[in-house]
Amino acid sequence: MTKLLWEPPFIQPHRLGEINKFGRMKARDSYVEHIFGVPVTLLKEEFGSPCFVTSETHFRNNLQNLKKAFERRYGDVIHGWSYKTNYISAMCNIAHQEGCYAEVVSAFEYEKARHLGVPGEKIIFNGPNKGKAILERAINDGAHIHLDHLDELNLVDEIASRLNKIVSISLRLNFDTGYTEPWSRFGFNIESGQARQAARLLSASKNLKLTGLHSHIGTFILEPKAYAQQIKIMCKFMREIEAQDDIEIDTIDIGGGLPSKNALQSIYLPPEQVIPPLSEYADAICNTLIEETNYRSQLGRKKPTLIFESGRAAVDDTQALLTSVVGTKRLPDGKRAAILDAGTNLLFTAYWYNHQVQMTRPADGPLADTALYGPLCMNIDVVRSSIQLPPLEYGDTLVINPVGAYNNTQWMQFIEYRPNVVLVHEDNTYSVIREREDLQVMCQQDRLPAHLVTSFIDSKSEAKSK
Amino acid sequence: MKKKSKLKLGNGSRCERLHQLAISETGFIFDPQTGQSFTVNQTGLFVLDGFKKGQNTDFVSHNLSEACSVPIELAQSSVEAFIMQLERYL
Repeated sequence: MTKLLWEPPFIQPHRLGEINKFGRMKARDSYVEHIFGVPVTLLKEEFGSPCFVTSETHFRNNLQNLKKAFERRYGDVIHGWSYKTNYISAMCNIAHQEGCYAEVVSAFEYEKARHLGVPGEKIIFNGPNKGKAILERAINDGAHIHLDHLDELNLVDEIASRLNKIVSISLRLNFDTGYTEPWSRFGFNIESGQARQAARLLSASKNLKLTGLHSHIGTFILEPKAYAQQIKIMCKFMREIEAQDDIEIDTIDIGGGLPSKNALQSIYLPPEQVIPPLSEYADAICNTLIEETNYRSQLGRKKPTLIFESGRAAVDDTQALLTSVVGTKRLPDGKRAAILDAGTNLLFTAYWYNHQVQMTRPADGPLADTALYGPLCMNIDVVRSSIQLPPLEYGDTLVINPVGAYNNTQWMQFIEYRPNVVLVHEDNTYSVIREREDLQVMCQQDRLPAHLVTSFIDSKSEAKSK
Repeated sequence: MKKKSKLKLGNGSRCERLHQLAISETGFIFDPQTGQSFTVNQTGLFVLDGFKKGQNTDFVSHNLSEACSVPIELAQSSVEAFIMQLERYL
């Protein structure tokens, strides 16, 4: 008797609109056996499943390419490593070794940068909630403080006055470029006059000196012209305030927002067809900034330093997630489904990306529409709601990528332990850069009042005590 | 009480309803009575073929168990689930 590949017998009705001209596609024999040069089987055996695997070489190359793209065109450039994108210590130190400043947005991130040995003058301190104590430390350290609102301006002024220091300050601006949804909740608005008011207040302050302008026009920006427009608006504002008040701006910070090669759920076309190359962004940004600040060279003044804060574009494709199938099923409508040991608890970006999912063995059946669910006991834990995959089996290893941006920071300590994060070094050796959590980690912040030390109360001893 | 299948599958009874279906070797099924079409996987095709030959549930399950090298209990319960699917659609 001919051997059949086991799969429970199943009949699936065709529905109008579901039949397409491609019919039932044969599985492409596409699978990966290595992640960044290390065998998948070895990684799984040594570090367990799930686990994040990161490439040092890839990350360094991306950082170098970004810096080069802007330096070649403009010259005086600083890359602020966006801590919130991936603040695992080893990743931050790779970025710092490549010359990046720390771009931090909270007391925790500031303290982490200092803990890693980043000097204050190489920290860009953004964010809407800085707090008095950390601002005082940042001022003493000589960090670059970017003001978000008037109360913060007053607070920094008061601290600087008390410390008898003159503090250089940048203003975060927001405005409408016409290309992206304005991020009007951060910084001072140009159109409404708030930004002019803040500049005027800083100009009048004895202890604060406005030396920088900053704005961040959005995220995953697919139109390089948006940055050109951003720079035009910022430079126009710069010339206006320099003309009216005793102000000299020496840094223009354009924030981040450069896209990675990930697939946004809202976009039908694949990323290779949608995302412009880095050179187009660098051209738009640097050419516009040169044009808008040419007047300075005629006046014998130095052009402003360009600061950019790219996180996603630098790190997203430097990390993959190894995960395993822990169960398979057919949904009532006939669709295949698999449950993975990694879900949105680890892959927060699955809420807006269609991540690439790769098999690690040859396919042994036709591709079919499949849903991939995570391990959480939550209906929203969906890694891919629809992806063409061959039949999956219990224990299959899958590789999901790119996952390097915002997952090692936005992941949740929820229901499951967070797994090992592995770094493949430049010499192809590898090590854990963040250890898997265990019960001790999960419980170490808990405190039990004396009357809650025991879980179940013995009814006899309770009666005696009464 | 066990629900009686309207298809009368298994227990030796030939199923006329299944003979009305146009079933391709690759698992494409057309039902001329309703105009509906279906896809059935390879094991489903194997089971349908058995039923069309008049084999009963136990016999088909046994053959499926041998063809796929899976325990008879797994084959039996899967065939029963498959019958429920057929009842739903046909």
